[in-house]
Amino acid sequence: MASISLKKLNKTFGALRVVHDIDLEIADKEFIVLVGPSGCGKSTTLRMIAGLEEISGGELIIGTDLMNDVPSKDRDIAMVFQNYALYPHMTVYRNMAFGLELRKAPRDIIDRQVQEAAKILDITHLLNRKPKALSGGQRQRVALGRAMVRNPAVFLLDEPLSNLDAKLRGTMRAEITKLHKRLDATFIYVTHDQVEAMTMADRIVVMKDGHIQQVDTPQNLYDRPVNMFVAGFIGAPQMNLLPAKLTQEDGRFFALVEDHKLPLPQNFDRSPLAAYEGKDVILGIRPENFHELAPADIDPANTAPFHAVVELAEPMGSEVHLNLIAGGRNLIARVSPRFRSKIGDRVSLVADLTNAQLFDPQTERSILY
Amino acid sequence: MQWLEAFWTKEGKGIPKDAPKKTGLPLFAEIVAREWWELVKLNLLFLLFSLPLVTLPAALFATATISRMMAKDRPVYLLRDFLEALRAHALRATLWALVAGATVIIGGGAISAYAEAAKTSLFYAAPLALSLVVTLFATLWAACFVMVSVTEVRSFWETLKLSALAALLRPLPLLAALVFVATLWIAHILFYPVSVFMPAVMNFSLGMFAVAFGAQGVVAQVLARSGEESTTQEP
Repeated sequence: MASISLKKLNKTFGALRVVHDIDLEIADKEFIVLVGPSGCGKSTTLRMIAGLEEISGGELIIGTDLMNDVPSKDRDIAMVFQNYALYPHMTVYRNMAFGLELRKAPRDIIDRQVQEAAKILDITHLLNRKPKALSGGQRQRVALGRAMVRNPAVFLLDEPLSNLDAKLRGTMRAEITKLHKRLDATFIYVTHDQVEAMTMADRIVVMKDGHIQQVDTPQNLYDRPVNMFVAGFIGAPQMNLLPAKLTQEDGRFFALVEDHKLPLPQNFDRSPLAAYEGKDVILGIRPENFHELAPADIDPANTAPFHAVVELAEPMGSEVHLNLIAGGRNLIARVSPRFRSKIGDRVSLVADLTNAQLFDPQTERSILY
Repeated sequence: MQWLEAFWTKEGKGIPKDAPKKTGLPLFAEIVAREWWELVKLNLLFLLFSLPLVTLPAALFATATISRMMAKDRPVYLLRDFLEALRAHALRATLWALVAGATVIIGGGAISAYAEAAKTSLFYAAPLALSLVVTLFATLWAACFVMVSVTEVRSFWETLKLSALAALLRPLPLLAALVFVATLWIAHILFYPVSVFMPAVMNFSLGMFAVAFGAQGVVAQVLARSGEESTTQEP
């Protein structure tokens, strides 16, 4: 049983509080990702779970046991570090076996565990090599193998892919996801890369300045962000956040953005919208919700023409990211490569408001959720 | 001091799984380059455990065990595996040393005697040649015995048979290994005193590694053949 409870967990360095009263429940065998910008407290939280940082306040419970004062070695956890932290003077085999050797495990068990882990990670041919000869990806596999051989209840991974190149990162992401399914253990993964978070997690914990902003499944975070930070952080390119005024006409709500009158979907909850009628709001539209032509599968009542000037076109192969300027505001649209435009062109797009978001400009919280 | 950190942490070229495997001399050189420090430590271990002299044969067998593991690219726990092999092969190694030592001494004596006699009469050329061949074969047989013993546990007589077969089947790699061992010692003598540290640092372990490397193919062959025969003989 490897469920984890963080109850008002906080961390202070002198007078500086870096983690503020975190409450989080992690289910057994869940793959949870802590994501956020640098300095948001995600690695510190992970290190408190690992026992590498003293907990300043609150409770850490693994299973049913309070772990605040339990040494790391007794917590049934294994950690994978960003810089791999392999022992350079030991072979891969010795690196992987070291933890079990310290626990005085029998030789045959050590050998079996190491060989098994090496087979799963496809590093059997590296067992007699030193880390110096290995590439970054191979070193990361060894670090994973070292964690695996201990059969821990919880795996803690602290940005394990950030030192790898983009292509290798993609491969290793899939490997780690498959590993989670195979090992059937709880994984707590820290990253600043929202693509990693979205592709790997059962649930994502978005953090900022030591606070949890939102905990939800990747799709829910994408579709229903609770504040502007989460809306802007999740999704690439990030969501366009445009100042607007909320108006009502003939029972229909509209967001006025400069000279654009954008109809809000009829299925939006009317009571929060009514509270903001006539007031300034922030309208969030994702780049993929701008189209050259209105798609056939979208309700035309939720669309409106949108005019802007092209500032930059970034061809990505399968799509083009248009950096646009409309009424002094910058925004990004994702269009197909067939859409021809050059810098300075005035373009007409169709804005789809079906998945639009609305935020309070003062509190930055979502009006809709 | 970043250079020092980089020495240990700089990313390597990586080792592709499906790269063509080296064989022969390039593989030998690669293993020696990779394991050179372990070979130095192995040499020191051999010298240390040979000091009582009666343990010299067991230390030789233990060195052969470690050398075989290195040649097979197996993980090695140097001290632990050395001591284990020392204990496991102590009796057999001592018996081997007595038999092989006596054989080689008798053979060497015969060669010396017939060589002296052949200087005066060509009649002794034939026995000289015979004693040379027999002594050489005995040396190969003794080396194969060591390698078969440390590869698989078999009875003394079976090991004798299998090692004789190995010495007859493919003698050339082992002969090359023994020539290499001889070269090491000749180099030590020729370049003395510059080469004074050679025996302490590498002569024994590197020599045994060369023997293990040269013999691994034929030893695997005779053991596999012996395994097949015992399988076909079963009812």
